[in-house]
Amino acid sequence: MSLYYSPNLPEEFRFLCMMHNIGAINAEKALTMDEIAKWTTMEPKTVQEHLRKLSELGYVKMVNVEGQDKYHLSIDGIRKVLTLYS
Amino acid sequence: MKICQITWEFPPRVVGGIASHVHDLSKALVRMGHEVYVVTLDFPGAPNFEEVDGVKVYRAPSEVGHPHFLTWTLLFNHSIEKRVADVGVDFDVLHVHDWLTAPAGIAAKHFLRKPLVTTIHSTEYGRSTLHSVDSMTIDGLEWWATYEANKVIVTTWSMRHEVCGHFKVPWDKVWIIPNAVDAAKFQVDVDKGAVRQRYGVGWGEKLILYVGRLVPQKGVEYLIQAVPKISAKYPGAKFVIVGEGWLRGHLEWLANQTGQRWRINFTGFIPDSELVVLMRSADVLVVPSVYEPFGIVALEGMAAGVPVVASQVGGLAEVVEHDRTGVYVYMRNPDSIAWGVDRVLSNSGHAEWLVRNGLEAVRKVYSWEAVAKKTTELYEDVVKGGAK
Repeated sequence: MSLYYSPNLPEEFRFLCMMHNIGAINAEKALTMDEIAKWTTMEPKTVQEHLRKLSELGYVKMVNVEGQDKYHLSIDGIRKVLTLYS
Repeated sequence: MKICQITWEFPPRVVGGIASHVHDLSKALVRMGHEVYVVTLDFPGAPNFEEVDGVKVYRAPSEVGHPHFLTWTLLFNHSIEKRVADVGVDFDVLHVHDWLTAPAGIAAKHFLRKPLVTTIHSTEYGRSTLHSVDSMTIDGLEWWATYEANKVIVTTWSMRHEVCGHFKVPWDKVWIIPNAVDAAKFQVDVDKGAVRQRYGVGWGEKLILYVGRLVPQKGVEYLIQAVPKISAKYPGAKFVIVGEGWLRGHLEWLANQTGQRWRINFTGFIPDSELVVLMRSADVLVVPSVYEPFGIVALEGMAAGVPVVASQVGGLAEVVEHDRTGVYVYMRNPDSIAWGVDRVLSNSGHAEWLVRNGLEAVRKVYSWEAVAKKTTELYEDVVKGGAK
């Protein structure tokens, strides 16, 4: 069992795997957009775009903690990541 | 005997086949009177500790993350190792499954001074032929797991050849203990007409089923390429492809290229209970793998009473006996797949005979009771030898 990235795998799914691996898997472990950008070394604008797409697909959820928007994978998002392991 | 199973996946965290393998094996070991402890990785909503069918399950939180998969894996191994220590039980034997929890198992072997058993379900070499630096590291971890283990379990002769040949493991260190299925789970009454209708298969039409991850090693593209050939003889053929994976986009594109996309239904992930009734309602199950250390899905098909057409490759060629419990086809060969499907669909008497033999093989050879008994013999062997 390992993780193969297909050349055709959309960027947002690679990003979803990274969010999973850095531990943003429930509301308590949700991260801000800036934190995710730092972890993944991606531009905040790219992160924002990925989060938008993944939220639309139901793979990412947003929670508001003390006035800050934070993001984490939904159960469907976690299952999606697990299907990407080969 | 006090047994500690160490695995990165255990229900509800399900990635591949290891989760159900460890679950079913553990339950069968408990039925034999053993104490079984499973130490695994956490999953949202699952408790840190629970007892499932007599199996004590301890979940370790993945405390430090990292976007890089391999680095993350090594980090969560520390969490699992710590959880094994925290259980505080004087285990008789430790049992790890694949490389993903090998570092935790190896560490536990040394700090607890207990024997270690490693099951190699598949190898990185077989899965990917070592295509990158990460892949080579995984290969190294697999070698380490076999080196440190007191005994290694594989599920088939072909895997024994692969493990002994590639990792230079002594032949007698590797035991063959097959996988198993719970045959009773598949013996349910099904309204086949209603199930087939749910998947767009009408009266008099043929339901040709694939179940598995959508990744290159499963060879699904060869089944899709066989669609026009099969449909030429069976105009009512419908193809249901169950599973998810990163190759799905490409496979859907390939399905469009056949010009018969309307015949092919990609269902994505479906729950186990639905899978059972779908399998029982199918006319044929195709397993077109190009690499398959064991081929549990073929066994599930046999348990469900559906004729199996499978590539003659790796463990599949041992699980399925040609023209006795299923039909072999050449791998990477759509013509051969079409031939195999026709062999089953064109002769219902032969298909029924294959199903009867398949079910008998499942009950006699591939039951969890038989597998747990053999695994216990191996545990007793390593316990006698002590930690080395």
